[in-house]
Amino acid sequence: MKSDSEFTNFLITSGRIIKMAVISFWRNRWLSLATTLIIILTLLIISVFTFLALIVNRTATSMREKVDLVVYLKENDSEDQISALSDLIGSRPEVKKIIFISKEEALNRWRARYAGDQNLQNIVNENDNPLPRSLEVKTKNPEDIEKVADFLQSEDYAPLINKLSYQQNKDMIDRLVRITSFVKKIGVGLSILFMIISILVVYNAIKLTIIARSDELEIMRLVGATDAYVRLPFVLEGVIFGVTAAIIGMIVIFVAYHFLTPVFIRYLVDIGYDVGVFMRSSLYQVVSVQFLVALLLGIFCSFWATRQHLRK
Amino acid sequence: MIEFQHVTKKYGKGIIAVDDVSFKIAKGEFVALVGPSGAGKSTLIKMLIREEEPTSGRILVADRDIFQLREKELPFYRRKVGVIFQDFKLLAKKTVYENVAFALEVAGVLPGIIKKRVGEMLTLVGLEQRTNALSEELSGGEKQRVSIARALVHEPKLLIADEPTGNLDPVNSWEIIELLFKINKNGTIVLLATHNKEIVDAIHKRVVSMKEGKIVDDRENGKYIL
Repeated sequence: MKSDSEFTNFLITSGRIIKMAVISFWRNRWLSLATTLIIILTLLIISVFTFLALIVNRTATSMREKVDLVVYLKENDSEDQISALSDLIGSRPEVKKIIFISKEEALNRWRARYAGDQNLQNIVNENDNPLPRSLEVKTKNPEDIEKVADFLQSEDYAPLINKLSYQQNKDMIDRLVRITSFVKKIGVGLSILFMIISILVVYNAIKLTIIARSDELEIMRLVGATDAYVRLPFVLEGVIFGVTAAIIGMIVIFVAYHFLTPVFIRYLVDIGYDVGVFMRSSLYQVVSVQFLVALLLGIFCSFWATRQHLRK
Repeated sequence: MIEFQHVTKKYGKGIIAVDDVSFKIAKGEFVALVGPSGAGKSTLIKMLIREEEPTSGRILVADRDIFQLREKELPFYRRKVGVIFQDFKLLAKKTVYENVAFALEVAGVLPGIIKKRVGEMLTLVGLEQRTNALSEELSGGEKQRVSIARALVHEPKLLIADEPTGNLDPVNSWEIIELLFKINKNGTIVLLATHNKEIVDAIHKRVVSMKEGKIVDDRENGKYIL
């Protein structure tokens, strides 16, 4: 029975606190609007840069993961010779991974690659398979490719090898790495700057409400309101700022996502991963981070402001 | 019920607002605390509602040292002590009813009970006809009666009146004093801080006189002697 009435009490008090917060938010609607807009701006800046950093980073990683060096083998190499060569390459410190591609595997890949083109598919088959066996080598660092290639071109191994094939990815990757770090730096800098601005704006908005209502607050304390009862409406107001901003920010992000994804997909073709899928999974990450940032910002500022002004 | 034990309050260096004050107030008493401005009355009252802490000494209310109360207990102590002020401290944009109800809302009281209690209190102070008036439209005497109703709404054991007639004309002042008598008759301790000589001399109650932070006189059926 007692806990029942305590629960009713809790509900009634919570209701009164929420009502006070909403009334205060609405009473100062222009201030609330400005505050919310600043938070939205901050969120969007953080989101856009997070997004950019994620995508450039993902592209760089994907380029690194591409096979660096392919060693095509001669038709008459024996299994023993191939396995010895494979072990030899694998034992080099620069090499991260080495995979043997058999004739069957090569055929499968060919078929998968030209799945849409019957003519090309028909050029090779099980009985007449001109595709060579190969060793795919991945190095730890892109700049090591040439070392491994030089080593394989020496007289000792040349008889076994039909052809070496390697792409000059290094420059491209380097550039992407530089872009990533640049985007990160600018993003972190701008995010911090706007975080500070929003914190100050939210802090001031709440401070102004507190000052405007200082009579009421004094009376509340005198008639025996608990600290929480005095404070929670302001904290809640901060939360309303944050959540409103997060929701609007989220809508903006979703709309931007809808229009920008096709553009990204068009420009970022053939970089080894599905841009659309990656954008979609990043979208949820970005939106959740955004929501969390907005909420924490609101709570932190209102706690800070009420702490300073509701002492005693 | 209330006991001041060697209470001293110093501000900064050398300013002694209250100097080694000791006295007791029994259940149901009506005490006038008098003295010129700066005698330490307000400081004493601020300490009694724990807005200020004494530099030394103790204040016991119902045998408990109120400065030992934890922060969490403080609001509940304040609900047991009603306070009224010279400047009323009402919310101007709220009605008479809302101003009184406010004190109960803050305490998480159910709406039905609030309605009943506020009605009773407004009848007690004679404002049952003015329930829906905004407090800024009231006369000084009416405002003070609203603030008394608000102070009483938690059924406090102690009502502290800090210069309650300071802003009122003589007729309104007497109405307020009459009201305080009525409240005192119902068993509530009334501590009336004032420097209104006329009122103190006419009421024939215990008078505690303060000057320069010290109690200089304390007698039943006292006069304003300073």
